[in-house]
This record gives sequence, C-alpha cells and structure tokens, in this order.
Amino acid sequence: MALSFSCNQKVYLYDGSFEGLLNIVFDCYVQKQIPSRIIEEKQYIPNLLDTVEIYHTDYTKADRIFHGILKSISYQTLYENYYAFLANVPEKEMSILLYLLNGFSIGPKINTMLSLDFVFQVHSLRKKMLSEAHKLKGLLRFKEVGDNLFYACIHPTHNVIENVGQHFVRRLPHQNFIIHDATDRGLLFLYNTHQYQIQSDKNFMVPTISEREKEYQQLWKTFFQTIAIEERKNPRLQMQFMPKKYWKDLVELS
Amino acid sequence: MEIEKKLKILADSAKYDASCSSSGSKRTNHKDGFGNADVSGICHSWGADGRCISLLKILLSNACIYDCKYCVNRCSNSIPRATFTPREVAELTMNFYKRNYIEGLFLSSAVIKNPDYTMERLYETVLLLRQEYHFHGYIHVKTIPGCSKELIDKLGKLVDRTSINIELPSQTSLKLLAPQKEKAGIIAPMQYISQQIHTSSQEKSKWKEKFVPAGQTTQLMIGASPETDYTIMTLSESLYKKMHLKRVYYSAYVSINQDALLPALPQPPLLRENRLYQADWLLRFYGFTVDELLDQNHPNFNTLLDPKCDWALRHLEKFPVEVNTADYATLLRVPGIGVISAKRIITARREFHLNFENLKKLGIVLKRARYFITCDGKYFDKISSFQESFIEENLLYLERASTPASTYIQTSLFDTFLPTKEDKIKSLTGAF
Ligand code: SF4
Repeated sequence: MALSFSCNQKVYLYDGSFEGLLNIVFDCYVQKQIPSRIIEEKQYIPNLLDTVEIYHTDYTKADRIFHGILKSISYQTLYENYYAFLANVPEKEMSILLYLLNGFSIGPKINTMLSLDFVFQVHSLRKKMLSEAHKLKGLLRFKEVGDNLFYACIHPTHNVIENVGQHFVRRLPHQNFIIHDATDRGLLFLYNTHQYQIQSDKNFMVPTISEREKEYQQLWKTFFQTIAIEERKNPRLQMQFMPKKYWKDLVELS
Repeated sequence: MEIEKKLKILADSAKYDASCSSSGSKRTNHKDGFGNADVSGICHSWGADGRCISLLKILLSNACIYDCKYCVNRCSNSIPRATFTPREVAELTMNFYKRNYIEGLFLSSAVIKNPDYTMERLYETVLLLRQEYHFHGYIHVKTIPGCSKELIDKLGKLVDRTSINIELPSQTSLKLLAPQKEKAGIIAPMQYISQQIHTSSQEKSKWKEKFVPAGQTTQLMIGASPETDYTIMTLSESLYKKMHLKRVYYSAYVSINQDALLPALPQPPLLRENRLYQADWLLRFYGFTVDELLDQNHPNFNTLLDPKCDWALRHLEKFPVEVNTADYATLLRVPGIGVISAKRIITARREFHLNFENLKKLGIVLKRARYFITCDGKYFDKISSFQESFIEENLLYLERASTPASTYIQTSLFDTFLPTKEDKIKSLTGAF
C-alpha cells in the first residue's frame, strides 16, 4: 500500500524544470516529508497564509534521483513521469512526487497500480501530452523557407516539441528543419540532418517563404477543398477532430 | 494542362473511395531515403465532411473505357478528363510529404486502354517513387480488375496495401450495374493476392520484400442496389474469413448519375452506413457472427439503436453480467464496454475488487453499461428493475441525445458508436 509521508504544510516554489522537480523529490525522500503544494515560481500568486520555500535547482541531487529511478524503479517509471511532467496541467507536481517516492519503496510494480490516485493521475497526464503530440504529428505543416530548409509553427497546449521533433527526425532525416513552439514557452527544435537541439527563444523571427512554397500551398488547398464530399458536409464532425485552436497553423484553413 | 487543374479533376474523381487508413505497415527509413510508415497511422487533416485525410488520394486517370452505371467517371458521362504522368504524381507526393500534408499516396485509376496498360502505369509510378525518389512512406494502390498476375506480383512487392472494390454486393447487381467489370473479374485477383500474402508470410526467407504488408481491403456501396443488410454483412463476414481482408469499407451511395437502373436518393444513406460499420466492428473485435445480429425475418439493422444494444435487448436472458467474475468474451458483449474497457477490467480486478466507483476511475463509461452489469450482485445506483421496457427507453433516449435531431441523418461514423474514445481514435487512424 502507499506510504504515508508527514506533510510540512509548506509551499515549494521551483524553476519549472524537470530537474528542479527531481531536486525536490530528493529532499522529500531524505527528509521523509512532503510539502502541501509544489508550484513553478513564476506562476505563484503570493498568499499571506503560505509558508514558502524557494528551490534553486541543485543538479547533483536531480542527477542522483534520475539514476536512482533507473536503478531502483524502472525506465518506464522515468518516462511515465517525464511525459506527465510535460503536460500543461496545474498541480501535476504533487502526483509525480508521490509516484516517485512510493516507487522507491514499492519498485517497478508501481507502474500498474492504477488504483492509487497519483498513479492514475500521472497516467492521465502522460496520455494528455502524448495524445496532443500524436495529433500534431499529423497537423504540423512545414513551409519551405530556404534551400532544403523547412519551418513549422505550432501552438500546443502541452510541451510536446521534443516528442514531435523526434518523430520528424526519424521521418525526414535529410531535411533541415525548425519547429517553433510559438506559445509563451517560446521553444525551438532545430535539426540539421545530423543532430537536433532544443533552444529557448522568445523573439524568434518567423522566416519568409519561397515562391515555390506558395505554389505547393495552393495545390494542397485545392486538394483539401476537392476531396470533401458536398453531400456529406459535416462541420461539427470536422471541428471535433480538428479543434479551432489548431487552425491558425494549418495551411489549408488559414 | 496545368497541374492544379489536373489535381482538381483527379482528386474529385477519387473522393468517393472511403478508405483513408494509413496504418498496419511498419516501414523504417533507410539512410538514403524519405519517410517511414507509422504502425498506428496518422491523420493529417479532416475535410469539410469530417472524413480524415491522411493520404494523397487521387486517380492516375479518369478517362475510363468502362461504363459502370453508378460511377462519375463512366465513359458515357461528359466530364473533364485528365491523366497524370507518373512523374507528376511522384513530385506531388514528395512535395506534400516533405511538408507533412500527408502520410503517403493512395493511387487508383480508371481503366485506360485496358486493365494491363493501366496497371503498368500504376506500377511505373510506384517504382519511380520507391527507387528514384527513395520514398519509404505509405503507398496504397488499387488493383485493376482483370489485370495479369505478373503485374500483381510486381506491384505487390512495392506497396503497403492494395484493394479491389467490389462495390456491388451481389452477382445480380454487378451484372446489371457494372457489366464490363464483372466480366473482368474482381474476386479472382482478390483471391490471388490473398494467397500471395499468405505464402510470403509463410516463407519469409524466400521473399526479399514483404508482399502487401498492410493487407488488402475492399469497399461495398450502400444503397445503389437492393441488397439487405443481412446480405451485405454475410458477404463481409466471408471476405474476412475466406479472403482475410484487413477491412471492408462501406460507402453510402451518392446519387451522381441519372439512370433508370439507379435509385434517385435525396441524400446518401449515412445512418445505414454507420450501422454497417458498427456491425462490422462487432464481427471483427467482439466475437459476434452475422447470424446472431440479423436473420431472414430481421434482415436490416434497427435504425433507432446500434446493433450491440439492439442485440442485448433481444437477449436479456444473458444479462446482467457480473463484472468481478465474467470472462473477457462476456464482458465484450455488454453495451458500452469496448475492447480497451474489457481489458482494463480484467487487469484491474486481479488487484482489487471492483465497484461502480472504481469502474468510473478506470475510465469505463457507464452510460449504457450500467443497465447490463452488476458489481458484487448490486445494480448501479437506483436501477432496481431489470426490465426490457425500462432499459430500452433509456437507451433510445441516450441515442437521441447523442445525435441532435437536425444532424441525425448526418451522424458521424463513430459518433453513436459504443466503444471507448480510444477505440474511436484507433478506428479513425485505421489501427483496427
Ligand atoms: S471501371 Fe467503372 S467504376 Fe472504375 S472508373 Fe471506370 S466506370 Fe468508374
């Protein structure tokens, strides 16, 4: 059964990185104490009644937890929690913390114990992130912006850029490309046919497209409009599969 | 003719083919190449009709020598005609693929000159893509009825999937509405492909390339001819059993041509199409046989209830089902419980005893299932009477609520269907 940890009623603020959260896991494990909330520092709205503790990420501690998970729990646990962490859902941190702390005493069996609330939560967070990533693997549109250089802009709810980018590295290994998460996250996934890299860049200038690119966009629009059967028109269904929030980045709908 | 015009004509002619699936094949990229095929399939867009777009679906040519009554491209219609060159198709495919518009190519064609000539052109196109452009993405090519076995063999080694549309579900209708095709033979090549797929998977070492790794499919047209649902489903059942087809698609007939031999339908029969898909699903994944669902006295599906609910109501003696003890096959027959839910129940109950609260937590939708199950002998909430009229009323209400009156006829393929959301996603991406 799940362990019980004493709660110190504090609010922990961290930098919003996965390492930052692992650092907290380390301290909780050592102190056998958990806070009442964990929240990214810049999202926190001060409250007079809170006792706040600010974390500055200690990478050595994070690293030890990282390897600890691989050694004493499982690879799957690490991925499960990392993917859950990428979901943009408030309060995700406590579920991940409890999952990992319990994982250290229960072992790899934790992964299937869905009756534990935090395990179930982590599973659903991961699913949310992955299902948006899957959707974007289809909906992302590359535009040719230079000789064999392609650019795609996305506005995802969750932090999917790594997962989506890796998919295209496998699929289009000979194409230089940039995937741009143009939400507040401001992230770039850069790939030069050999290596990829993820960078933060909040002021990235969207490149201009080539003449050839315009022609293909036009051809795609033509195809898109022609392929629908008039007698079966069903905008409700179309919207259900392709929510409006994705439309602005779609060549065929903008 | 400029390329955009051709594209418009040849996409327009291809749009009535229902299949869009891009799954079932795992092609990994080689160092020199472009693209791979994802086993679970990816949808790239959805058209205004709500159908998923995952492949560049076009005809190589629409200049047909045949005159199938129901088809836009029949030679007696006066419509604009066009023919792509293999290179034009390859260029379009590559450029769409690089921009991530599509998962691959679905190439079909009207019969130009004769079946073999047409197949040769299709083969040339695919060869160009695979060899010169090093394209490793998904390719689905139609087999032209009446073409030679040699061509089937050559093409089968390059493509992921192939299909021959039967369209008309009986011999009589085929003779009447597609006389030339009937003569050319649809079933013979289908049988041959099925054999070759089988041999290639048996003797893996002898075959360098897998033969049609994502299998073959077909399509049946609904409502252009008088066959009942019973006849159609019986045909599907034997196609799955004897020809090992991966999918049978059903396509509601759209009245395009005026013809004394064809019914003039005001609207395509979409609800009927939906029921057939639901039943097809029951055959493939839920262990039902056609004879359990329909018979001579009851040859068409209930328009008001989906086939599984309909069946359950007619077999109340098999319910309620106790979720803590029922086996997998029995769980699957409960309305509202899909493949994923049934598996989840089985795994979860090894660990703990199930009640309605934790069923919900497992993500099991109880909307319909609640009338048919017990947890430790207890019914859901206030349901105390296990009575047909009570259950039927509630199910009918649910069905109506999930399909607003105005769109009832336009109901989506999977809208009113019972399996879970994951099932829906998989079905659309073609994972099933
Ligand atoms: S063979 Fe028949 S169905 Fe096919 S394109 Fe020609 S007329 Fe249409």
